[in-house]
Amino acid sequence: MSSATPSSVNRLKSNDAGRHMIADYWDRIFTANERDAQLVWYNGAALNPIFQAAGLEWAHGEAFAARLSAQKLEKSAQLAAQEYGYVGELCSYARTHLGTALLARQAKEKYSKGIVDDAERDDLASRLPMPNFIVNCYAGCSTGQQWDEITHRILGKETPIFNVSLPFLWSNRPDAGYLKGQEWEEASDYVAAQLYKLIDFIEVQTGRPFDWDALRQGMKYIKEASEIRREAMAMCANLPAPATFWDWIASVAHINFLPAGPELVEYFSNIRDEISHRVASGESAIKDEKYRLYFDGIMNWNKLGTLARVFAERKVAIVAGRYTHNAFWQEPQLIDTDDPIRGMAQHYLLCPTNHGFQTIKHFTKHDCELYGLDGIVFHSTRTCRAFTGPQQMLAKAMQKEMGLPSIFFEGDVADESFYKGELLESRLEAMLETIDVRRSRDFIASSASNA
Amino acid sequence: MGHDTKNALQILKSVANNPQSYIANWKEKNSLPVIGIFPMNFPVEIIAATGALPVIIQDSKEPISEGNSLLAEFYCGYTRSIADQAAKGMLDIFDAFMNADHCIQLLGSVDVVRELLPDKPVYFEHLIAAMDDSWTKTQVQEKIEAFIIEAERVTGQPISDEALLACIQSNNKNRQLLRNIFAARRNGDAQFSPAELQAMIVSSMIMDKNEHSALLESVLADAVAKPRDQRIRLHLSGHFCHAPRVELFELLEDCGAVIVDDDLYTGARYISTDTKESMPPRMALADWYFARNETIPCPTRVQKTVDWDSYLLNALDNSGAEGVIVVMAKFCEAHMFYYPELRKTLNTHNIPHLLIETEHEGMPVETIRTRVEAMIERIRRKSPTRQITQESA
Repeated sequence: MSSATPSSVNRLKSNDAGRHMIADYWDRIFTANERDAQLVWYNGAALNPIFQAAGLEWAHGEAFAARLSAQKLEKSAQLAAQEYGYVGELCSYARTHLGTALLARQAKEKYSKGIVDDAERDDLASRLPMPNFIVNCYAGCSTGQQWDEITHRILGKETPIFNVSLPFLWSNRPDAGYLKGQEWEEASDYVAAQLYKLIDFIEVQTGRPFDWDALRQGMKYIKEASEIRREAMAMCANLPAPATFWDWIASVAHINFLPAGPELVEYFSNIRDEISHRVASGESAIKDEKYRLYFDGIMNWNKLGTLARVFAERKVAIVAGRYTHNAFWQEPQLIDTDDPIRGMAQHYLLCPTNHGFQTIKHFTKHDCELYGLDGIVFHSTRTCRAFTGPQQMLAKAMQKEMGLPSIFFEGDVADESFYKGELLESRLEAMLETIDVRRSRDFIASSASNA
Repeated sequence: MGHDTKNALQILKSVANNPQSYIANWKEKNSLPVIGIFPMNFPVEIIAATGALPVIIQDSKEPISEGNSLLAEFYCGYTRSIADQAAKGMLDIFDAFMNADHCIQLLGSVDVVRELLPDKPVYFEHLIAAMDDSWTKTQVQEKIEAFIIEAERVTGQPISDEALLACIQSNNKNRQLLRNIFAARRNGDAQFSPAELQAMIVSSMIMDKNEHSALLESVLADAVAKPRDQRIRLHLSGHFCHAPRVELFELLEDCGAVIVDDDLYTGARYISTDTKESMPPRMALADWYFARNETIPCPTRVQKTVDWDSYLLNALDNSGAEGVIVVMAKFCEAHMFYYPELRKTLNTHNIPHLLIETEHEGMPVETIRTRVEAMIERIRRKSPTRQITQESA
């Protein structure tokens, strides 16, 4: 008689407890039309506190594509996109979301003719209601604005659309760097000015004055949640790591687009308290942690559980990553809760793909030092050219400047056909052997110098 | 075609095929800097106004080797070629680089250039792609000013409005000469092959504009119109940032087609719009950015008031093209986004069309030939006149 093998992954229990928040959020989106609520589709930065203060419902395009992929329900949307003519190499977030736009348009047309299609109603990809308007605020990747421009065209050009344009932080001048320099200050002002114009636009769409007090209150909750999140992340420098990258992935939805409120703060407080308890008791996020690695690349939503298991089974704690640790209200000190717009604008600029190579290298080195990491895993994300751009130079630089080995594995953000699991496993094992050899060599050298 | 025409054309072809040689000779002769420009929206008049030579960096025909270890294999061929050229020292000839375009793949390659050539200024100002917003105009004007300041800093030469105007005039003249040649093709003149037209455009991207215009004038002085024959008339559409391989043109002609118009970057798109000489020059350069997207809409920009698909229908009306070959550089995301809109419009109007993806290395000639021949056959069957002609033949 066989017995179940205990999992090597020891997930945070407080994450499980917060899952209903995500389900509740999507239920509100799916029922927006029935409740006569105004719905905005948006892509890119976390504009949700503005939408929340304006009394809107908000559906984040990437988030919906990610949700479909994580639940393995993305195929009908991707098929609709393919039939419409999108090439398979196009960003799979966009391809999936444009597919849902085609399905939403189709559902609306049928509904207007009195046709109710049970199969479509049961297909999650078909359930995204048509938006009242669209807002785009995309940093880093140049396809962001084009994506929503095409959504606007697919929906018949009648849906109002607003673009917030985010300059790429290239670092032209000698004073430029992460959170500093004239370029940073000018870009912050430029984006802040557009956010005020966005609020004017929203007032026209809703027909009511914007609730500034609600925005301030919302940003207080977000700032507090973010401070707690960063505090909890910092505790993961502890050996063994009390939580991993995969735990932080599970809370991306919460910090990125769920409603700001006391429940959000409570959720991250519970995570912090659980991590703190684990640190005190020496409880590890994975069984028998032996290696600590960094994850560079956007998430592979199709393979979330698979990836967590692949690493844990080899005693690897993925402790930090560019996607989780350098995004999502990650610099809460920038937020002035009495006058939040500029700090919000700055966070929209701080997308981890919106920097030149030197800045990305700067914060990657910082994280690798802070968390005491042994190497880097690069997710070479087939249809995400924004994340993959600097990866090969980063791998070379981290080897040269910090002696950190790295591997690349191929996959994608929302199209599982690009995932190559066996290559990941063989490359990972080779890198772990390299780390073992280096440790042995260091141990011998250290013993010799002490003798 | 007279002797001078042949010589002038030969020079243009030679420059297009070997930019390095022209640049090296120009530097030796002028002892002035050469600035590498990344496509597609940088106003080169700014650089020319300092006396330096602006050169739009071309895709190298050399197979990509080192570039593939600097950028992912799913970056477009042009960007990987840029990385490859930087790694192989082929960009050392430039004194600085400038870019105005926010394409994430292009920026990835420009960042490689910055890392591999750390002693050379690599300057980027982001011309915002959302063309409809009132604040974009102010932003673009500020960025034009920033480019001017940087050009002055890099070259050590102040830029006067008079110098800018003179360069605007010489660029306009060059564009007008090229537009005349393209218009003649549209109107039935087949004296220049598609490869020759591409060489004229690419060499314009590389050469001093006065020198280039003089050669063009020499070509045109001896030009004798040659009526096009009765082959199937095609429009080539797309292919941004770099030139498609001329082998593709030859293949299309070999299949029984004649190219009568295009909206390629290394074609009609590059020469579509003049900079207004009646405006103050700095304002005119900013205005040009917006005006050219009105003339031929580009999918890298977002603008509600223009449609590339509507432009294409008008262009087909004007040229009498019977079908469209959409030429897409593989992994070009802006093009991937917009292609279904083109397809939808062309299908709605029952216009035969074919998507051909190009890669840096290799072209599956026989596969493309089969698809092109099938499309041409479809056009013949669509047209009663064509059917009669074929049967008579």
